[in-house]
Amino acid sequence: MAILVTDKTRVLVQGITGKEGSKVALQMRNYGTKVLAGVTPGKGGQEVQGIPVYNSIEEALKNHPTINTSFIAVPNFAAFGAMEEAISNKIPLINVLTEHIPIKDTAKAIALARGNGSQIGSGTRIVGPSSIGIISPGIGKVGSIGGDDPRGVYSKGSVGVISKSGGMASEVSWILTKKGIGQSTVVGIGGDILTGCTFADLLEDFEKDEQTKTVVIFGEIGGTYEEDAAEMIKNKKFTKKVVAFISGLFAESLPAGTKLGHAGAIVYGEKGSYKSKIKSLEAAGVIIAKTPDEIPSLV
Amino acid sequence: MLLYEFEGKQLFKNCGINVPMSQLLESPKDQVSLVGDVIFKAQVLSGKRADAGGISKENNLFGKTINGEKVEKVLVEELVDIDKEYYLSFSYSTETRGPVMTFGKGGTGVEKGVTKTYQVDILKGFVSPKDFPSELIDVAEKLWQVFTKYDCELAEINPLAIVKRDPSTRSARSGQNYVVALDAKIILDDDSDFRREIKFPQRNLFGRASTESEIEARKIDEGDHRGTAGSVYWDLDGDIAVIAAGGGGSIVNMDALISLGGKPANYTEHSGNPPREKLKRLTKIVLQKPNLKGCWFVGGTANFTDIYETLMGFVEGLREVSPKPNYPIVIRRGGPNDKKAFEELKQIGEKEGFEFHIFGRETPMTSTAKTIVDLAYKEDKKIRG
Repeated sequence: MAILVTDKTRVLVQGITGKEGSKVALQMRNYGTKVLAGVTPGKGGQEVQGIPVYNSIEEALKNHPTINTSFIAVPNFAAFGAMEEAISNKIPLINVLTEHIPIKDTAKAIALARGNGSQIGSGTRIVGPSSIGIISPGIGKVGSIGGDDPRGVYSKGSVGVISKSGGMASEVSWILTKKGIGQSTVVGIGGDILTGCTFADLLEDFEKDEQTKTVVIFGEIGGTYEEDAAEMIKNKKFTKKVVAFISGLFAESLPAGTKLGHAGAIVYGEKGSYKSKIKSLEAAGVIIAKTPDEIPSLV
Repeated sequence: MLLYEFEGKQLFKNCGINVPMSQLLESPKDQVSLVGDVIFKAQVLSGKRADAGGISKENNLFGKTINGEKVEKVLVEELVDIDKEYYLSFSYSTETRGPVMTFGKGGTGVEKGVTKTYQVDILKGFVSPKDFPSELIDVAEKLWQVFTKYDCELAEINPLAIVKRDPSTRSARSGQNYVVALDAKIILDDDSDFRREIKFPQRNLFGRASTESEIEARKIDEGDHRGTAGSVYWDLDGDIAVIAAGGGGSIVNMDALISLGGKPANYTEHSGNPPREKLKRLTKIVLQKPNLKGCWFVGGTANFTDIYETLMGFVEGLREVSPKPNYPIVIRRGGPNDKKAFEELKQIGEKEGFEFHIFGRETPMTSTAKTIVDLAYKEDKKIRG
């Protein structure tokens, strides 16, 4: 059955007239995903790759009421507005490709999606920001995951993959595919400090998904999402097998607070350190891969 | 970006938070104009400044090195009589996925002490919790303003002091307390730089000025949003040049290199399908270092980065490096157009005399760490016998 992206997925692209938006819209359609409409304020009435463009989500929904997923590829300064519009129109799932969104804007969008402080949130789920996307091999994809042709790297199977890194989502899936191990759904949650969907959030989905037998987590130093997942596994809220790979030992040889490739991969003191993550995951019975290439033999 | 204390205190003042009377010394020749008892505070970015001798009542601290950082500016402040000390900060929590206020008694050393964390609803703003001291509500509201107005990741006052004298007039009135921020630690959210009214000069957490390469590398992405290359670049002490792909993959590979005893000359990453000009510029910067023993161009199996474009950018940069690199160059990459890139690279290597060792997606990414370490340090091993 897979998670998040299924045969019922109907996609709207916010920012469809932009370079990334139009490119990814075409990629998704080529992979068999149903892309019904796009939105770019002020550009309604146009078509991109044969996909109709509207000025607002409201207008798009009026014409395509089955839309249930929005893919956001707008510049960072416009990302909060785009997320807010999707949330207030009660789109159940939004995937945000945009990188470098101010942390305050992400925090506000997460709060809106949860529905605190107002009535407009209705359990919208945000995957991202800085997300490579979501792919359920053989079914469809949302986002730029897999690029033009995901078929070589991603294959259908029973392993769920959750990764902070887009590149590593691909590398891990390729390593699995090469050994004949397919994936149920691969999700890039993004490497920002605040993310709409965490490892723990997605483990809940994978727990319920019959297709998924094992989950691979690609984590890295910084934040507490790996520790939260460990806590959940320890409390038996996730009961399937988990294999984890954690990166970032190198970063700990640098001064505290040094900025690396991902905004979230930043350590101040003990909190979010490599040691803390490995310790809590091991205590929860998670199998730790020492290199990415060990993963197939461990799943 | 982490701010210096004096910069953070400027933001505090802008939002009405009391700070002691002060003066910034920018050279040892600057005269202290404050009267009465003063305290000299080295303006450095490392923590635990007091333990490292960065605070003094007698000496102006110029010429000193604090945790490896040379003192170039000193903040002189009027000494205040402290009645009580607190810790107060706003930051983002990955546990609540929103802002939190952290509050506690005590001053320095508070990390080990008792603090309490309160969730703040970002849509409503700061609302004082019931068990929060009423005399601190005003300063907490103002610190929340600093935190949101200037798009901070952290706005911290430690210590936050209760004093008996008005910090601006120095007069005391019986029964009247004043709340003063004695230190300031602010981390700005770099992703909000585009909309923040106040700009601060770039700085380097390594306790040294940015190197020429670091400054040059950061310029590559300026005004060009097509992918990223060089925005994150740090010079390190080693001898293996690294051009790594991906915010996540680059760290995985650095881990692998270091665990095998490889000494990286730099850390950098590129991602999001940068055009070849960006890779050309980055390559020239990475390889202009003297005494390199090898170069490792490494990345996973890309989703959408065009491998042909990035590797051709690498070659174009390589051709302009002088003297011509005669050390081993290990390349491991996968993704769109990789086969076409490898075929052309092979020919270029043979024709132009570069020692390329090319690996595709069939070869485990981190296993090429061993390849570069073995090749780069081959001569060293021979000498050691």
